[in-house]
Amino acid sequence: MQPVEVQPFLDAIEPIEFLLIAAIVLVLAYLALEYKEIVYAAFFFGFMASFVAGLFLLLEAPFVAGMQIAVYTGGISALIIFAVLLLPRAQDSSLESFTSPQKRRVGFLIAAMVMVLSGLLAFIFPWAESFDVGFVEISNDLGALAAWLWTEHGIYVQMIALIMVTSLVGAIALLKLDRAEQLASVQGEFGVEADIELEETEDAVEGNAAMDETEEVDD
Amino acid sequence: MVPLSWYLILSFMMIGLGAYGMMVKRNLIRILIGAEIMGNGVNIALVAMALYSPSFSFTAQGLIILVISVAAAHTALALVLMLMYNRRYHTVDLGRTIDTEGP
Repeated sequence: MQPVEVQPFLDAIEPIEFLLIAAIVLVLAYLALEYKEIVYAAFFFGFMASFVAGLFLLLEAPFVAGMQIAVYTGGISALIIFAVLLLPRAQDSSLESFTSPQKRRVGFLIAAMVMVLSGLLAFIFPWAESFDVGFVEISNDLGALAAWLWTEHGIYVQMIALIMVTSLVGAIALLKLDRAEQLASVQGEFGVEADIELEETEDAVEGNAAMDETEEVDD
Repeated sequence: MVPLSWYLILSFMMIGLGAYGMMVKRNLIRILIGAEIMGNGVNIALVAMALYSPSFSFTAQGLIILVISVAAAHTALALVLMLMYNRRYHTVDLGRTIDTEGP
């Protein structure tokens, strides 16, 4: 009995898999942008990120697929859901798009231009042929990838880590700074009145100081 | 095997879709989602090029690992900026006319 050859069958269904996943990704991305309820939109974004991980698996990059699921599906979509929960005003459906049709048209035109021009570039430019093939062998060896990252390019990894830590510490500092500013002036219901009162008291203090100076001059 | 141009077209369509979201939407969270969709499109293009060009294999994978890590950091920063915007202007509407002197 001859062994069944699976490879030709897998090669044949790969375009179908790609088309199916690509269609799902595009539909989910559109829903993430257009669905009225923003909480569901955030969920659609998470699903879209999972299907993009499926595309990475199709591209034989399982490690990147794992990172995509861990960071985008697990982390970023959770962060977006937190943002929706922390900002109840974000659920206002009247904010969906610009009311001025001219602005909407310009935005749509620019996005369409990006899509069409880059699509043309994808078709016309011979990407695959333009690469230097005989340089390094293709590999999905995680050990080799880790060695490549940490021994040859460790400094870049450390730089990126530094940028990430700086951005996170900066984010926390910004939030604390804003909170401190608010606490300094929270007296009225909205804080705005408190600022006005604060300015008035500052003006009064300055006025008193000016009067004191004139009195000293008179003396 | 799926041609490279198919992946590139998909990635550019995602970039275009993200650009549409960033241009047309006024809600800050939708704009952030648009930016993330653009980022995903770029990642697909990078991984596809890594598969189709052996010389680019490790570079692209290393690059994508770093891009994904930075995406997480910038999303956290964007969330904080959104919170600050909301606190200051009492809205998340980017289309609103902003008084440059603050509230």
